[in-house]
Amino acid sequence: MRRGRSVAQYAVVLWVAVTLNFALPRLAPGDPLEFVIGAELGALTPGQRERVVREVGLDRPVPEQYARYLAGITRGHLGRSIRSGRPVADVLGERLRWTALLAIPALLITTVLGTAVGAWAAWRRGRAGDLPLLTGILLLDSLPVFWIAMLLLAAFAGQLGWLPPFAALALPSSGASRGWAVATALVFPVAALVIAGFGHTFLVARAAMLTTLGEDYVRTAHAKGLRPAAVVFRHALRNALLPVYTHAALSLGALASGAVVVETVFAYPGVGRLIFDAVAARDYPVLQGAFLLVVVGVVAANWLTDVTYPLLDPRVRAATPGTSRAGAHPRGPAVAA
Amino acid sequence: MHPFRLIVLALGSAALLAAGCDRGPRGPRSRLTVAIPRDVGPLSPYIGDGSVLLGLVYDKLFEPSPFVPEPGPGLAESATQVDSITWLVRLRGGVTWHDGAPFTAEDVRFTFQYYRDGPPNRYTHHVSAVPRIERIEVEGPLAVRFVCAYPCPLLARVTFADLPILPKHIWERITEPRKYAALPVGTGPYRLAEYQPDRYYKFVANGKYFLGRARAEELVMPIVPEQSATFIALRTARVDAAARDLPPELVAQFSRLPQLSIIRTSSLSIIELRPNFTRPPFDIAAFRRALSLAVNRDTLVRTVLLGQGRPGTRGYPHPDSPWSNPDLRTPFDRASAVRLLDSLGFRDRDRDGVRETAGGSPLSFVLKVNLAEPTWIRMGEMLVGQLAAVGVRLRLETLEAGVLSTQTSARDFDLFIGEAGAHGAADPDQFVMALQSGYLWRDGLPYPELDSLIAAWKRASTVDARRSAGFALQALFNERPTSIALAYPDQRWAVRPEAYDGWVESPGYGIVHKWSFLPPESRVGTGARAASASAARERDAPR
Repeated sequence: MRRGRSVAQYAVVLWVAVTLNFALPRLAPGDPLEFVIGAELGALTPGQRERVVREVGLDRPVPEQYARYLAGITRGHLGRSIRSGRPVADVLGERLRWTALLAIPALLITTVLGTAVGAWAAWRRGRAGDLPLLTGILLLDSLPVFWIAMLLLAAFAGQLGWLPPFAALALPSSGASRGWAVATALVFPVAALVIAGFGHTFLVARAAMLTTLGEDYVRTAHAKGLRPAAVVFRHALRNALLPVYTHAALSLGALASGAVVVETVFAYPGVGRLIFDAVAARDYPVLQGAFLLVVVGVVAANWLTDVTYPLLDPRVRAATPGTSRAGAHPRGPAVAA
Repeated sequence: MHPFRLIVLALGSAALLAAGCDRGPRGPRSRLTVAIPRDVGPLSPYIGDGSVLLGLVYDKLFEPSPFVPEPGPGLAESATQVDSITWLVRLRGGVTWHDGAPFTAEDVRFTFQYYRDGPPNRYTHHVSAVPRIERIEVEGPLAVRFVCAYPCPLLARVTFADLPILPKHIWERITEPRKYAALPVGTGPYRLAEYQPDRYYKFVANGKYFLGRARAEELVMPIVPEQSATFIALRTARVDAAARDLPPELVAQFSRLPQLSIIRTSSLSIIELRPNFTRPPFDIAAFRRALSLAVNRDTLVRTVLLGQGRPGTRGYPHPDSPWSNPDLRTPFDRASAVRLLDSLGFRDRDRDGVRETAGGSPLSFVLKVNLAEPTWIRMGEMLVGQLAAVGVRLRLETLEAGVLSTQTSARDFDLFIGEAGAHGAADPDQFVMALQSGYLWRDGLPYPELDSLIAAWKRASTVDARRSAGFALQALFNERPTSIALAYPDQRWAVRPEAYDGWVESPGYGIVHKWSFLPPESRVGTGARAASASAARERDAPR
């Protein structure tokens, strides 16, 4: 019953999102025909203009376009890009691979690094260096990602010349050199995303850790004579991870949209840049496909978070029928006993 | 050593080694890398606007463009005007498409019919309206007869130099060209070997090209939208040239870099102020003229373009076009502007510095500008001051490009700043088309003087007569402008001469086009001019 309600909720969210997805590009100002014909759109006769509108499928009544759109989604047909003439599903598939290559390492590095440094900072709260570190991280967290990307470009590509300033490279056909070229293309975008995202993860981890370090079971662990590192990393950190996990899981969904700014600055061919270019060209089919991908990503990440929470937190497991494991502590996480 | 330190040391060494490796020797000179600012689609005449890159793959009957006085033979060997409406074109023999199929007169007939009768595109009105080609008849394997609906003396110099020729054996099967995204097959000096959307184009030289093999065996064109990334790549030798204008503020800095050369070309484009001629008081010709007289273009060019361009004092079209009336003048004359406004009854009755119409409406308007064009925004700010000096108030409004485009298409504006590219500002047929399509004037709006001049233009049956008729049209246009030329910007291109120095200018196309890569002898009659040092040496070398 509870699971059925949950599925229904997700279905409604998806339907609303898909409908908005259909409506928004059509409500946005701009004429996709301008990209199709170019600046000479005005030179077409009304008859010629009608013909182009018909060709790109914008001549049908909006309800019919909507019905076709929904039917297409169920069959996996997302139309063809007005900008390139290619099937949108193919375009998205190619871009998603690049975005995954960028977003997953960036998320992993940000989460691991942010959590480790955040936990360490919480442990050292009030000691020398704590305030400057916190100030520095807050400053870092406030930097716009565009600015970070431009600094990386200027310093490491411009002054030092270590790496190419763009990722739009022709890759070697196969082998280690191809892998190396891809890795090279990833360095700047991943670095920009990690620097931009590190501060937030740090702050979440530090706050969660501070709360946890004040718990009775931590005091008990100290009283038992455990080494401080064991108390912090084995006992306290495990229980402080939930907010960090939630933050990371929700970020994972948003990652389906790539990183629009970073991908554009570094000419990285991911979903974010696709969205940027599609907005500029009013390429409705691509916009709809990309936003559908984002919606599905966000909903799937929420679902994944819902499903995995009981596995991580015995308190949630105890409160969720059918997920309780024999021996799990009903009142709290695994405490050093 | 502590294991952690050992790992850090190893990773650091690897990173340094990797960075060092990456700065190693560059590839062979036969491969050129040219950064381009945007993806122009799969090089189809039906998708996007890839006219310059299109020219690497496709050829035209005459080359290089309508922007030179007399284009030279391309796929055509000759074109003869039989009478005022008929042309006979003899085609070059022995030409093959990239897939090996022979090029014939059928391809030419098919192409012109497809553009005229098939799905409309950017070329359609150049065969269906100005001019209108009624019949296209194959007269033999390498001969085609064209018959126009009205005199078409510029067919060879303009139309034939504009339309890329398509292979019939491929395109006759394509009913929905906007959904056709396969790699193009042309006759041009390069074959598009690979296209990765939003990443790069890779061209390979066509060894059988009829004008000789291109001198760069492979052209790789990464798509780099970010301007800073492009010029950093150029400075650090990641690319050999950039197919995007060097912004005025970077010219001085880049000129000092010994590894770079800066090449200046004429863009044949016009930065223009466009009044909405369908909306009062811009529907009054004298008011539009007063606005034109009130604009100090010298100041705009000196202050905003940092002198890298010319003031728009020669009106519309571009003065470098061989089809432009050399006597056109659009001077800055504030006193005349004031007199003209006074004579129209637009006076500042309430002494607030802004004139009012006879009905009491203040001459207060919105000037719309694309927010992605800082140069135009700055020009807009200066125009606000310049027009205030004659009692016309402007409020600057910056808009996203798509929004601005929608509003201008719907004629929802008072004034906006835009740019007419070479096709609009230097092609004589396009000028006449624009006077009928709504761009510069609209068919149906009363304008007897214009109608009569267009009728005379259509009747003109020789090149000279057509040129004279065009000059008369231009004189009338600038007397009652619906596009006020502000500036003719220069283009500056940064290249690495050590990688390649054979760049030539083709008017309106800059330097990144096929003529820069073809042997010097193939450029005869194309109007292409040596733009870099070694290209000039080659040009001057005794043969």
